[in-house]
Amino acid sequence: MRPELTLTPEASLFVSASSLRHRLDWFNRLRWGAVAVLLAAVTVLGGFTIIPLPVGPTLGVAGALALMNLGYVVRNRLLPARSIRTEIRLVKLEMACDLVLLTIILNLTGGVENPFLYVYVLHVVIAALLFKGREIFQMAWLAIGLFTGEVLGEHLGLLRHHHLLGASTLTHETRYIVAVLGSFWFVMLSGAFVSASIMRHNRAIKDELVVRQAELLAADIATRDFFRFVTHEVKSPVSTARSAIEATLELHGPELAPGARDLLERAQGRLDQATEMVKDLADLTRTGVLRHDPPAPVDLATVAARALDEQREPAAATGQRLVLQAPTDGSATVTTSASAVAKILGNLVSNAVRYNRPGGPVTVTVARLADGARLEVADEGIGIAPEEQGRVFDEFYRTAAAQQRTGLGTGLGLPIVHRLVHELGGAVVLRSAVGQGTTVTVDLPEQPPPVAGQGGAT
Amino acid sequence: MSERTVLVIDDDIDLVEIIRVTLEREKLKVIDAQNGERGFALAKERRPDLVLLDVMMNTVDEGFQVAYQLRGEPLTKDIPIIMMSAVGERTGFTFDKGRDAEFLPVSEFLEKPVSPRRLVDLVRKHLPTTT
Repeated sequence: MRPELTLTPEASLFVSASSLRHRLDWFNRLRWGAVAVLLAAVTVLGGFTIIPLPVGPTLGVAGALALMNLGYVVRNRLLPARSIRTEIRLVKLEMACDLVLLTIILNLTGGVENPFLYVYVLHVVIAALLFKGREIFQMAWLAIGLFTGEVLGEHLGLLRHHHLLGASTLTHETRYIVAVLGSFWFVMLSGAFVSASIMRHNRAIKDELVVRQAELLAADIATRDFFRFVTHEVKSPVSTARSAIEATLELHGPELAPGARDLLERAQGRLDQATEMVKDLADLTRTGVLRHDPPAPVDLATVAARALDEQREPAAATGQRLVLQAPTDGSATVTTSASAVAKILGNLVSNAVRYNRPGGPVTVTVARLADGARLEVADEGIGIAPEEQGRVFDEFYRTAAAQQRTGLGTGLGLPIVHRLVHELGGAVVLRSAVGQGTTVTVDLPEQPPPVAGQGGAT
Repeated sequence: MSERTVLVIDDDIDLVEIIRVTLEREKLKVIDAQNGERGFALAKERRPDLVLLDVMMNTVDEGFQVAYQLRGEPLTKDIPIIMMSAVGERTGFTFDKGRDAEFLPVSEFLEKPVSPRRLVDLVRKHLPTTT
């Protein structure tokens, strides 16, 4: 089932008002750069009279830009991002102010004579990063209007002209001014068009990715639902058949011919396997462990001791030693889901015992970390080949060596560990060398992540 | 000799038969019901010595509701209850034996697949010594 996905017009613009803020912070840094460049230019060019700049007014503009930027920075720090519409309006206002200041600076530094007039293009490109089609052109037209007004204003004597290149040059010729304005209009509008097209293309790709990701997520949920359904449907018949065989062997075993009893025992073994699979699938498809088993302080040392106890019998059968290295003062206590940790340790310890060398130790180490606690389960068993290590967390994957060692095992133990550790906000790392053993390390945080408002079905 | 009676409430008739065969071997009389409502009625009518109750029948927690009903009814409130939980529920994400037992009026949990030997042990343990 594919969930209905509708992207709002704003969705492909930004993820949220706060992510827009993030970009604004970046532009604020850019603006500090502009202030610095302006100050440097005025100081070097004007201060040393390389070019006759009106130092005072130019510094004034730089100061105004710096003050405005300071205002933006303070606002971004203090006020939380509001609706995306409000944020976009604010950005537009900021950019319009930038363009006005840029025009004033150009006026002070030669107007049409100043080759830096194309700094306007930069603003159009930035607008393309932030806005969509029409709004990008709005910025381009605002720049065109301001610059054209400035140039015409100077030419018609309405604004003061600051000479940059000497009094009588071709820059005062009408034909030259028309040519500059023509090229300016062309560059601004084509720049807006090209950057708008590129950004439209990029956003289309991004929208596509968002939709695809949602589809993948839905497919994952559907797969899990399917597993859950199959598990549910299969568990009763398997379990009842298992009980029937056991009852038959129990009540009528002595009367049965040896061959018949052997066959029933084989069937019982296979049903045990199926039962294990059903239990593992139930664990794997059950999500939202933190909701079902709310976090509480759990001493990992106690859970580890219990997990080792449960494996005493199979370990003893092959002469293995079970070793627990854990603090006894309760210092390895974290707030987490007790049943999930028990399951994680249970799976890891039973794996270690199952694939250990006969007589080898299984060591469970519990340790305090600065921001949580660590569990480590180590064996000296068959190990996992490097090329298989990446796959042991995949559902149903069993290594070649594991399959050779025993028919038992569903290939779901480590995937369950992986899923649970992930849900608890922890991390799991596996190190292994063939013939030397495997060590699985689980780091759990002091506190689990907050439970999402929505999520896995129950 | 008073014959002791065990009431099995489970919608899986095959499992009911397995339990019947197993318990009859132990000289116990087995009566059964396939849903909670019928089971509760039968419990009041026949007053068995012990109830074996499946958790999940028509609904995921029908068994729990029946357990509360049995405890709330004067005629049945003292009858021991053994609750049978489905496969794969033992880790207690849906309920936790240790925790819920304090609130749940049941004597014991028995995990499926039901092992005949364990069944007999538990039934013997919880059957009242005199009727």
